[in-house]
Amino acid sequence: MVIEILFDESCNLFGDGQNSAYLKATLPEAQFIYTKITDVPYFVEQDPDIIYIGSMSESVQRRVINKLMPYKERLFALVEKGTPILATGNAGEIFCKHIQYVTEELEIDGLGIFDINVKTDLFDRYNGKVLADFENFKLVGFRSQFSMLYGDNTDYAFTKVIRGIGINRDSKLEGLRRNNLICTHILGPILPLNPLFCEYFIALTGTKAEAAHKEAALSAYYQRIKEFEDPVVPC
Amino acid sequence: MKKIRYYFALHVAKLAQFLMKLLGRNATFLPGKIAIKLSPDFLKHLTPPKTVIAVTGTNGKTTVSNLLSSILTQNGYSITNNSFGSNVQAGVISALIEDTTIFGKPKKDIAVLEVDERSSLLIYPDLKPDYLVCNNIMRDSLKRNAHTEFIQFIISKALPLSTKLVLNADDIISSSLKKDGQACVYFGISAEKPEGNIPQHIKDIVYCPECGAILESEYVRYNHIGRHFCTACQFQSEAPDYVITEIDREKDMFTILSKDGEEKYNLINDNIVNVYNFAAAIALLKELGLDHEQIAKGFSKTKIVKTRFEEIESGNLKITMLMAKGQNPIACARCYDYVAKVPGDNKCAILVVDDKDDNINNSESTCWLYDCDYSALADPSIKQVIFCGPRCKDHLLRALLAGVDESKISITEDCSESVNLLNTDICQHIYVLHELYRPEDARTVKNGLISLGKETHHGN
Ligand SMILES: [Zn+2]
Repeated sequence: MVIEILFDESCNLFGDGQNSAYLKATLPEAQFIYTKITDVPYFVEQDPDIIYIGSMSESVQRRVINKLMPYKERLFALVEKGTPILATGNAGEIFCKHIQYVTEELEIDGLGIFDINVKTDLFDRYNGKVLADFENFKLVGFRSQFSMLYGDNTDYAFTKVIRGIGINRDSKLEGLRRNNLICTHILGPILPLNPLFCEYFIALTGTKAEAAHKEAALSAYYQRIKEFEDPVVPC
Repeated sequence: MKKIRYYFALHVAKLAQFLMKLLGRNATFLPGKIAIKLSPDFLKHLTPPKTVIAVTGTNGKTTVSNLLSSILTQNGYSITNNSFGSNVQAGVISALIEDTTIFGKPKKDIAVLEVDERSSLLIYPDLKPDYLVCNNIMRDSLKRNAHTEFIQFIISKALPLSTKLVLNADDIISSSLKKDGQACVYFGISAEKPEGNIPQHIKDIVYCPECGAILESEYVRYNHIGRHFCTACQFQSEAPDYVITEIDREKDMFTILSKDGEEKYNLINDNIVNVYNFAAAIALLKELGLDHEQIAKGFSKTKIVKTRFEEIESGNLKITMLMAKGQNPIACARCYDYVAKVPGDNKCAILVVDDKDDNINNSESTCWLYDCDYSALADPSIKQVIFCGPRCKDHLLRALLAGVDESKISITEDCSESVNLLNTDICQHIYVLHELYRPEDARTVKNGLISLGKETHHGN
């Protein structure tokens, strides 16, 4: 199995960098390719089994979009083919149609896989938690972001939240999904925090694997679900 | 009219400060808040002391501002500071109000103000500090500080060109706060150059600020702190004007080289993070015009504040209390690394780093654990690792992922329980890494260890 981690040198904010470490611990036999922003991505010529990209600063986000724009068609083809791609935090925004950076007074086009617009304001930070139903298990996670998404994701939301917000403060539908491209504003260590989701995501490749340190991970996961379900805990 | 509002606000705030003190209350925040409420541009009208020094940065600002206040006081200057209060706008204003007469005149010579990075925009445009010391800009609380580019942006936007900067040459992010035409001196450390390029868990700057190419490193001390250069353009780390060329850990002395030549000072703490703090303080004091003798006198009399570093012996146990700052991945990782590198092989690390406020009727965000490098805890000299607090299960998973052997990890939600988990047969030097805002839990562990030390001693 080949796993491509895109631009890990800078797209690693908020603990996102350790999702690849957890994949590595779960899939010790897999080959990991860490593509730097100055490299030609592996996916351009080859077929990786999984692609991961994590949170980044706003200026890096603009650079990443610039970098990937020439490979837009190839990325679309991989998405259509069903390659599992996970984008956490603001990484998923690169697949949206348009991004407005309010503070920097800039507007740019994204890769446009989703008909969704992004508004980023450095003086409007949102912090929150997510508790969501997903397949036959629950998802938990944290969010911290300057951006909100606008548009109708009813047909392609990643998940419906039980607690927390969706793509913006008025939405309950979190994230974006097309085939196995999953974009979620949950950031940080989503995979170690959700060992069942980690197994689910790997299973999208057709391979079954048990999440690393599963007993410890499950124990922390169940404690977190219990806490997030408690109405006293703010979301 | 605005000036009348200012005086009204000043008098009400001073009265509030007086009454709060009379009642034995902490008057380091509310008076400032009242002043801003009554006069939103209070700071614009206030006459500050003749010299205003702001100290900011992710890690070390409290240590640097305490050191500056202490040395300046020892040299006969009168100082306004907020070291016992808050470092946000209301805290800074409260400290200034306290030392302003009812006629609006400053009572002290110099203000040494620790300023929270996120408060920059509310403070610098009006206060216009004469000097700004910035020790480093690194990853911090993700909720509050987002990322370093954001912090650099707001400090830069807030600072007037008239402020003279004292910046860390070994930190490219804070180095780049300097704008064209701005007066600036840099400090750094050339002693104890690390050999080779040890891969870092996280680096907050990897691309050349000039051309965007991936930076090369001459060496890296930790995270992005070190010397970097670009092979695609001329960019390189700034040359320091004040550079620590030798750290003599035997004699507890260090040498700093500047335009004044080589000078020696007492090494009051040997953690490299603090050595940077010393370089920052000396650079600023020299810029103020103090000489070697005046500064060295201060260094021989000053200690790092007890809440940050304390060593106790009890029976056979040696206990070191270290402030580790939860939610701050780099400060915490530096503490883990310090424990791993200190000589000795009978060490135990007890970690009390969960955020207090975030765990009362809440469930703390543990993302920061994954930005924090836990691999130092796998060091064979650390025989036992005890995580205590509500997030102990998360720490366990994080430590396992970092390669810490499960057999040496113990966890407990109850801090008082941690002492019972300690194996004194293999661990005699106990490092308690504790969060600043959980002093009672730190005290519980400390007192438990002191009692245990006495018991085991009598038992022998
Ligand atoms: Zn360059």
